[in-house]
Amino acid sequence: MTHCLLKVFAFFAFCLCSAASASALESAPFTTPHARVSLVSEIDGFDPGKAFRLGLRFQMAKGWHIYWLNPGDAGEPPQLDLTLPQGATASGIDWPAPYRVAEGPLMTYSYSDEVVLPLTVTPPQAAAPLTIGAKVTFLICEKICVPEEGALQLDMQSGHAAPSAEAPLFSAADRRIPHPSPYAASLLPDATLVVAGAGLSPSSVKEASFFPDKWGFIEDAAPQRLSLADGQLSLALKPAQSFDPKVPLSGVLRIADKEGAERFLFISATSKDLPAATENPAQHPATFAEASPEAGLGILTMLGFAFLGGLILNLMPCVFPILAIKALTIAQLSGHARGKAQAHAAAYTAGVLFSFAGLGVLLLGLKAAGAAAGWGFQFQSPVFVAGMAFLLMLIGLNLSGVFEISGRFIRAGSGLADRGGALGSFFTGFLAVLVATPCTAPFMGTAIAAAIAASPFATLAVLLALGLGLATPYVLIASIPGLVDLLPRPGAWMVILKQALAFPMYAATAWLVWVLSQQIGSDGVLAAATGLVLLGLAAWAIGVTQGRHGFAHRFGRAVCVLALLGTFAVLYDIAATPPALVTAKDEAEPYSPESLAALRAQGRPVFVNLTAAWCVTCKINEKVALTSEAVQKAFASRHIAYLKGDWTRADPAISALLHQHGRDGVPLYLFYPAKGEAPVILPQLLTAGIVLDQTGS
Amino acid sequence: MPRLIPHVMSLTLALASASLGTVSGLAETLHIGQQAPDFTGADSNGKTVQLSELKGKPVLLEWTNDGCPFVKKWYSSGAMQKLQREAASSGVVWLTIASSAPGEQGYVDAIAANQDTASRNAAPAHVLLDPQGRIGHLYGAQTTPHIFLIDQAGKLAYMGGADSIASTNVEDIAKAEPYVHEAIEAVVAGKPVQHAVTRPYGCSVKYSS
Repeated sequence: MTHCLLKVFAFFAFCLCSAASASALESAPFTTPHARVSLVSEIDGFDPGKAFRLGLRFQMAKGWHIYWLNPGDAGEPPQLDLTLPQGATASGIDWPAPYRVAEGPLMTYSYSDEVVLPLTVTPPQAAAPLTIGAKVTFLICEKICVPEEGALQLDMQSGHAAPSAEAPLFSAADRRIPHPSPYAASLLPDATLVVAGAGLSPSSVKEASFFPDKWGFIEDAAPQRLSLADGQLSLALKPAQSFDPKVPLSGVLRIADKEGAERFLFISATSKDLPAATENPAQHPATFAEASPEAGLGILTMLGFAFLGGLILNLMPCVFPILAIKALTIAQLSGHARGKAQAHAAAYTAGVLFSFAGLGVLLLGLKAAGAAAGWGFQFQSPVFVAGMAFLLMLIGLNLSGVFEISGRFIRAGSGLADRGGALGSFFTGFLAVLVATPCTAPFMGTAIAAAIAASPFATLAVLLALGLGLATPYVLIASIPGLVDLLPRPGAWMVILKQALAFPMYAATAWLVWVLSQQIGSDGVLAAATGLVLLGLAAWAIGVTQGRHGFAHRFGRAVCVLALLGTFAVLYDIAATPPALVTAKDEAEPYSPESLAALRAQGRPVFVNLTAAWCVTCKINEKVALTSEAVQKAFASRHIAYLKGDWTRADPAISALLHQHGRDGVPLYLFYPAKGEAPVILPQLLTAGIVLDQTGS
Repeated sequence: MPRLIPHVMSLTLALASASLGTVSGLAETLHIGQQAPDFTGADSNGKTVQLSELKGKPVLLEWTNDGCPFVKKWYSSGAMQKLQREAASSGVVWLTIASSAPGEQGYVDAIAANQDTASRNAAPAHVLLDPQGRIGHLYGAQTTPHIFLIDQAGKLAYMGGADSIASTNVEDIAKAEPYVHEAIEAVVAGKPVQHAVTRPYGCSVKYSS
């Protein structure tokens, strides 16, 4: 019994002793309907003349919050009026970083549960006990907002200044108080925040967000998209109405690593003056490798180039499979009357023109909405790429003979057969345009860019001319009597031809799956491959039970429907997959306005290659010219820096650079000479010779 | 081959529109000088008010929520009512708009709206009931109060806060720069508004969630 009592006594004595070593220093609180507010001190006694910290402590009712220095779209920060004794001074509040909280369509910066707002007080030289008074007014909100207020008083003795019992509250606040940033921060004209420094990399940073310290910089509610490269972080912010790139953007940057540990940094980002690159091309026209000055293109010249571009488009690898389908259709028609062939050609042309016109309207609409609408932008959406891959796979399976589409689905009534065929041609034209868009041919790029910079009428006219160029070969084959008669008679060779034409389809599917891997990584490839397998299953189920009746027929349909549902589930999954982090994988340094400016400031000539995974022209140029030994040697000996901008996913910095040079699609090759002049634009089809010539200065 | 096309075409169209839909899901931001978006609203007396019919007179839109401390600052001090009467005498049509959803703070039906107007001695030309937040979302109204001023030609001339000091303190009204008063004067005189875009401050508009 005594033994137990002794133990209990010892325990209490221990507790008392521990407590006694750190005395509490908290003012009497005031309590409002939604909060308990008090003043706390970090130390339990002050040293005359030596600064120490006080904290304004809020313990809020559950679900209620108070606001940060910049409350965001709504709200008001708390106000503190201190009454200090003679000779004492106080700093402003050292605001800990807030939390981003969405309130409907608004974004606010607030604290909930408990927060301590520290400030530094320098007491007078005298050792007399001091009294600090505080008047606190604050707005506290849950769904509704209520203004509350109260008065506080804290009495302090001079003494040995040991940490008080409330010191842990200050340590907690310290974890969220921002530090000056060790990294260089700069601001792009489109309000993208670029932070550069060692220690920032895709492996060390998982999330980042920015809290501006004032209204008027950015749209607080807009999502902030993060891109990472080795040594650099960019956060795409949406500029507010009153955003001015010349005014430094200041606020707090939050960086979180893979374990969830957070850092908070004070940022003040200024826009750097990029030499030559940001100058208006109209003032310093870039010298084209071809002789045509951009500003001088008359509308007829643009239309001519567009038509040529459309013709050349037929030869591009991503259109050729469609041409294969066209040739097959024409071959099937060789047994029909000429009129039918011409009708099909007209329908095909209508389909092409209709879709180009539609794209033109869309492009204008997006331009009006202010989006950086680049030609080929739809390929920046992984769902679209996956969907196109599935589509081409289905077509390939049909061509291989795995399943047939029975005519009775489409024929309804007499005479519809003709319409069905023409309608089919119409839609073939539509498909041709959809797949053709990412392959910007040499003439097409300049023509479209000039047109887009001009009136909406010019834009549409140029696009329609492009469409005419694309459709003309088919029209020629269908219209010229001799050509149709020259076509071989139908026979068994048609089936073999049809099966052979499945392979361009499969090749295009494989290419799209590769594009998908660039966009959403290997998980995306697995998802897409699963989808393709399911499609194969669906196609086989239909094909094997076609012509059967009863149970077999119904079973086939059921398997097909289930497999197709699985495919849609895969598409939904792809839509939900986050994009693969942009990483600089190969030796090529990634393009950014920062690195470009830095290299030019060093006096080095720079070669910029803007490319994308889905741009076949780009890949060919890279293989043929840019990675060739002669060019690599020349770059090394001429001390030319090489920057590669990957536009596989929408990147505002790359879009801005494209736009600056009057382009809306890749590829774009720019050579910035060492002397700081305007950049040389290289042609879109490169050879090693062209590259060596243009970079020779 | 062509027989397959119509079937897969609908698939392509669906996929294309889905991806394009994500691109076009951009929020509409208003700009000074643009034509103010037209709308039709029911006022607290059952009358239908259409913005385009008011062309020829300046129109002021004031978002309100009678429970919000910021709105209370303006009405308890009499400052908002004074502004409304000055505006009316200058020929400005003042529309007070309540976009709070039913069940949220600030929601009023026609009777409550008229009672509010009477009890706080307010003088708007109309009080529009917008419980679905249609007009609020159209203009991107974020706070109560949030003020938009449309000129005689129907163009947006001012959007932002009621004045320059974002607080719930009544004494700050006298110290602040009276942005709305200045905007009304400028529009009535046919001059450009000096501070056309300012920070809207207040409680968040209680849209339905």
